[in-house]
Amino acid sequence: MKNQRSLFSVLTTLLLVLQINVAVAHAVVTEYSLKLKPIHAQHADHIEISFNSKIELGLSQIYLVSKGDKHELLTAEMGSKQGQIIISVPALEAGEYAIRFKVFAADGHLTEDVIHFTVS
Amino acid sequence: MAGIADFLDSLIGGFDLICYSLLMGGLFWGLFVLRPWQHDKAYNSHLLDKTIALIYKGGFLLAAAQIFKIILKVWLMTAVLERWPFPEFASTTQFIGGIIRAVLTLLVTAYVYFVLRKHTFSKQHWWIAFAVSIPMVISGAWLVHAAGRFDNRAFLMTFTVFHQLGAAAWVGGVLQLGNVWKLHKQQLISSNNWPQLLKAFSTFGVISVGFILVSGLPIALQYIDTLNALVGTGYGNLLMVKVVLLGLALGFAWLNRSAMLEFFANRQNVAVFKKVPHYVEAETLVLITLLFTAASLASQPPAIDIPLLTASWQEVANTFHPQIPQISSPSHVALIAGEAGRVAIINQVPSLAATEWSNYNHNIAGIFLTVMSFFAMLSYTTKLPFTKYWPLGFVGLGIFLFFRSDAETWPLGPIGFWESTFNNGEVLQHRIATLLVFVLGLFELTARITKNPTSKLPYFFPILSAFGGLMLLTHSHVGFQAKSAFLIQVGHTSMGIFALILSCGRWLELKLDKPGKDIAGFISVAALFVIGIILMFYREPLY
Repeated sequence: MKNQRSLFSVLTTLLLVLQINVAVAHAVVTEYSLKLKPIHAQHADHIEISFNSKIELGLSQIYLVSKGDKHELLTAEMGSKQGQIIISVPALEAGEYAIRFKVFAADGHLTEDVIHFTVS
Repeated sequence: MAGIADFLDSLIGGFDLICYSLLMGGLFWGLFVLRPWQHDKAYNSHLLDKTIALIYKGGFLLAAAQIFKIILKVWLMTAVLERWPFPEFASTTQFIGGIIRAVLTLLVTAYVYFVLRKHTFSKQHWWIAFAVSIPMVISGAWLVHAAGRFDNRAFLMTFTVFHQLGAAAWVGGVLQLGNVWKLHKQQLISSNNWPQLLKAFSTFGVISVGFILVSGLPIALQYIDTLNALVGTGYGNLLMVKVVLLGLALGFAWLNRSAMLEFFANRQNVAVFKKVPHYVEAETLVLITLLFTAASLASQPPAIDIPLLTASWQEVANTFHPQIPQISSPSHVALIAGEAGRVAIINQVPSLAATEWSNYNHNIAGIFLTVMSFFAMLSYTTKLPFTKYWPLGFVGLGIFLFFRSDAETWPLGPIGFWESTFNNGEVLQHRIATLLVFVLGLFELTARITKNPTSKLPYFFPILSAFGGLMLLTHSHVGFQAKSAFLIQVGHTSMGIFALILSCGRWLELKLDKPGKDIAGFISVAALFVIGIILMFYREPLY
């Protein structure tokens, strides 16, 4: 009986470490400026992203991803609208890029997501 | 390590709700069901002491869970952001609200432990305990996901708290019922207590469920704006799972209530003592799963916020569309060749080989389960002796998973067994899962053929399958491709529900007498059959 109990404990502990996945998400992007205002080559610019939830910017990271999945940390500040952040983007060559962000929402959930865009 | 923190973070939410139910549901139980000040001759100290012990244990665990949640957040942020999250984290609502709630929880728990425990029959002390709990209940409003919303924030926070209270009243009451039955079995309380408290809780339970529905419906209408959003998003899907689980729990509640009413009508119905306790156990399993699902729901983006990422009902239906299982696998070389493009962010190339590799794994696992459950069902309807060896299929499934789970590692890939097992967390988890399936098969086989009537071995299977179901239901998540992730999730949540039915059926099979025993057992393996069918038809979206 004692052995069975210890075996059960081992099994439940093992189950606890199964099926681990990446971050869950509650904060999602509701709109972003790239849809209306594309980025042009060789011009530093800003990208506005709005979330459905309050964001803790101090606990968030935003990266520019370029060809070969090279990551570059970008700076961002809170926008004038609720849940909006404004990201500063350096002057870029024409090509395919992505904004990859890890944001901490006010409800305590960490979210990772990617927005693809083209610089022409 | 981020994965482990994230996983624990998703589990701690459900655990938090269970503790909250023990604490708040226990107080409701005392105030509205037990009412000790009216029954000082009917109740003894064993009943009151154990009732209050459940309440303060729930309280202490709730405070610990709250603190652990904060630790997990710190762990998770450190892992994901690759830096220490302080001092920024110290000024967030989650940190401040979490600390305040933990302190308020300790306050009410301390009152229960130091004061109420010594005045168990005092109406006044029960009500003071409830009054002391109110700030803690209110403080919880800043920790629910409504706190981060922009629209109708106060309304959503308030109704979420009401919804939690309704759930706590029901679940806490069911847990207290289990406690009463335990005391009854040990002959520590009067034999009248069990049916009387069952009767008192029956009415209270109906009111609790009404409260859950009345508070939950406005929240659902705020977060889900169309019928398609209910069907085609993770949020809607988990809400439907909650509704199904609620239906299952209500089914058991109805069985309990019917038996109780019959008992009080003719005083000869033995179901109250022979069946109801085990229905309560099964109901507890369902309700615990329901709480974990509710916690998981809170990590989903509300359907109203993701109209462009919502799947159509046709896409969802297609996930379950019967089709010929894929019984040929793409080559290992093709799979490895497509991986770099599939995981790339820039110029991502969906890998057909990866999708087919996954389809093959799922479909073959489905064939294993379907065949196993077919023999299992036969074992209930025929006298063919070999059919009882059906759990051997789990052993075969374990071996299959061992070869297929991690294509890049030994024995198929170039990375060695030990190197891959101990240097990669995901591979380690797969190895453990494989071992577990293998061992479960051996356990259940031994349990089915053992001649020892007191063996506890048979209980491993229902407990672990309930846990497996819980994992399937709670581990829904949104990654980079929310719609694809949802279409994968929808099949897995369905399997989660059937895993729970499998678990409850097997549990009741072990506990009830004939003919209920056989019916429950058959339902259990029929649920396994359905899981097999879902897996057999599984098709992963191309991504």
